[in-house]
Amino acid sequence: MYFSELGFISLILAALFAVLTLVLAVIGAWKKRSQYTSSARHGALVVAAFLVLATAALVISFITHDFGVRYVTEHSSRSMPWYYVWAALYGGQEGSLLFWSFSLGLFTSLFVLTYKRAPAVLVPYVIATLMGIQLFLVLMLLTVSNPFVRLTAIPADGVGLNPLLLDPGMLLHPPLLLLGFMSFSLPYAFAVAAMISGHLNSEWLRAIRRWTLASWAIQSAGLLVGAWWAYHVLGWGGYWGWDPVENAALLPWLTSSAFLHSTMVQERRGMLKVWNLFLVIASFALTIFGTFEVRSGLISSVHSFAYSDIGGFFLVFLAVVIVFSTGLFLFRLPRLRPDQEFDSIVSREGVFLLNNFLLLGITFATLWGMLFPLLSSALNKQMMTVGPPFYNGVNGPLFALLILAMGVGPLLAWRRTSTSVIWRNIGVPLVLAALCAIILPLCGITNVLANIAFSICAFTGAAILYELWRGARVRHKHGESYPVAVFMLFKRYRQRYGGYIVHLGLVFLAIGVIASQFFQIQHDVTLKVGQQTEIAGYQLVFLGNLQQEETGKTVVTAQFQIWRDGKLLKYIYPGREVYHKMDQPVSKIEITTFGLNDLYVFLNDWDGPTKVGVRLFMNPLVPLIWYGGGLMLLGGLLCWWPAAQQGSRVRSQRRMSVPEKDEKQSAEVAV
Amino acid sequence: MKQVSRRQGRGWLLLTAGVLVLIAAVWSFLWFRAASNQTLDERVQAVSSQIKCPVCQGESIAQSTTDLARQMRATVREQLAAGKSEQEVLTYFQEHYGSDIVWAPQWQGFSLLAWLVPLALLLGGLALVFATLRDWRAVARETTGGNEQPVSEELEPYRSLLEEELAEEDILFRSPAQSKKQGKASGMEAK
Repeated sequence: MYFSELGFISLILAALFAVLTLVLAVIGAWKKRSQYTSSARHGALVVAAFLVLATAALVISFITHDFGVRYVTEHSSRSMPWYYVWAALYGGQEGSLLFWSFSLGLFTSLFVLTYKRAPAVLVPYVIATLMGIQLFLVLMLLTVSNPFVRLTAIPADGVGLNPLLLDPGMLLHPPLLLLGFMSFSLPYAFAVAAMISGHLNSEWLRAIRRWTLASWAIQSAGLLVGAWWAYHVLGWGGYWGWDPVENAALLPWLTSSAFLHSTMVQERRGMLKVWNLFLVIASFALTIFGTFEVRSGLISSVHSFAYSDIGGFFLVFLAVVIVFSTGLFLFRLPRLRPDQEFDSIVSREGVFLLNNFLLLGITFATLWGMLFPLLSSALNKQMMTVGPPFYNGVNGPLFALLILAMGVGPLLAWRRTSTSVIWRNIGVPLVLAALCAIILPLCGITNVLANIAFSICAFTGAAILYELWRGARVRHKHGESYPVAVFMLFKRYRQRYGGYIVHLGLVFLAIGVIASQFFQIQHDVTLKVGQQTEIAGYQLVFLGNLQQEETGKTVVTAQFQIWRDGKLLKYIYPGREVYHKMDQPVSKIEITTFGLNDLYVFLNDWDGPTKVGVRLFMNPLVPLIWYGGGLMLLGGLLCWWPAAQQGSRVRSQRRMSVPEKDEKQSAEVAV
Repeated sequence: MKQVSRRQGRGWLLLTAGVLVLIAAVWSFLWFRAASNQTLDERVQAVSSQIKCPVCQGESIAQSTTDLARQMRATVREQLAAGKSEQEVLTYFQEHYGSDIVWAPQWQGFSLLAWLVPLALLLGGLALVFATLRDWRAVARETTGGNEQPVSEELEPYRSLLEEELAEEDILFRSPAQSKKQGKASGMEAK
């Protein structure tokens, strides 16, 4: 018996148990019997266990080079380093679907293991919804997208993986995004549970806030690593191209960012209930839409290695999700009235509304840009491309306003803010922004749009730092030293200051994006041995090409010296790898960071050992994008990190209020 | 006390307005200067970054290094130097390479929709936000203006306590006036 057969059997069992769990959960919810719900919880764990087994079976098939499995033959070869087996697992359509199902299993079991934190009424509904999604995925895996299909004739070696995927970035980027996509199903399951059960108070929101934060952070990390991979591998000197697939990954990130803000309004003020529900549903629907769009190849994209014919099924699933959620939503609409009144536009909830408006505006504009070519060819019989100029033109100003709102928002209080407080809080950052606007032209940066964008970033960055400083100063006056004061601020108001760190990271990221967008220098040049070229004050001297034959590929490497002011700084070796089995060469791009500027050298073409064509970029402040992104993730982690004492307090409270249930719980623990 | 803070507030207001005017002045100065001395190179760059390279994936002819892109850039330069407007050059390319050669939808005909729909929806969204805010405020005024007025005096200490609690998390909003109020509230508790 082959491991692949074991995997297939596991999938069948997973499907059967998913059906069983779904039925048990529905009965448990319907009859309000906790025995059924408790069985459903165990059933969900069993489903997850079978999916782990199936995934393990595929991994083992890869490691043992079982080329009888078609998926293994198509996505690996004997010459592949072992650590890329992990990348091969999700390198194709069937495997990535299995990985998806596997990660949903993981999230489900995480939920089951921490179910006591969620409102008890919601648990069976959440399990039922998750099982519904899981069942769809497993059925796809069993029928149209089976990774365990065996070949009748076993080949000696596999085809290997697309060489573009043989990169360290690829070990992280796809699994993070797949995990991120799948993690949005948990908040969705909670939303469905809240709508069906009618428990639409803030409890379900509190239960999913940390889930959503985790989804947001995973998605952010996936997007960042993807940008980093594109920057290091694709050779066009950029990191984000508004490619349809990139957009598909960005959309749920935008809506979940909006949710993380508007949920605070509901928790504090009991408003925006309808809106929050909508955002959770939209985030999940957008992940399914994204999958459909990537898989169907409906919209042409650089991610063409992911195309397949299962897009239609995802379209049907998307339709089911939308119809089902909208029906529930309309059914519960009368119950979703705000508890509290609104006082003033000039308040933090007012700015949160603005933030949501902008984020949703960006989401819609991006979605519209993706769909417009289809509309155009269907209605007007005219082919059309919507590329970066459109997205930059529409989304650029919206992002600028968003960053401005990010600076103003924290300076306003909940409910209403008196004018004198506003002026007092805004004055200093505003003066700093003005200084930035004046100094930049004096330094030779005369582009108006760049100036506006930088000034906004200066304002927001200054507002955040100024507030941090004022908070620390208040504590300092009470006798704490400054480092202790900052530490205590973060300890006491971790979510709030974590949020500031995320914002600060985004400001850095924006500065990097603006600088590289407006001030990138590009220089294409053909050189012979000994000749030199210059970019932004750096001289590059070409020393020659080297061609090597390695197993399965030809490697061409050019050698350059980088000089500045008569001093030799570094040798660099940009190159190309031509894989014999693939027609697409992979570039080895040399990126040298001087201060905060990247010198980006891409080997364009070569002619024997003495002639080379290179493309040079000077990308200013691009490292800030990675640092800023890192800061955002750190801030997200700070917000997410569980508050130790508070959690135990809640638990002890609950224990006091429901004593009879506590016994049952401890009995289960004993089992 | 109140008058001092109001005068202070007005001082801040004037300062803020002054700074905003200054920023606006710098930006408009830069804008007019940039518009008048755009070089041919910059114009070529601006136009060719809007034309998609037909043989590449996801690159404009400004970015691409292929021979075709190089030729197309030369055509753009030639036509701009001959006095054609940016729009005329784009139209020329659309006539020769098909309408999807241009990377962003044009401001005319059917493709105008690509720009107008998001704009209209943004404006609609903004109107919706304002309508929501107005509704909420109207509801707030109704409820506080009608029944609650007589009780409000009784509730006032609790309300101020709540506001303090809300403000307590915001160190920044602890104004001198508020600490005074705090003193008053604790006095009330003693009573």
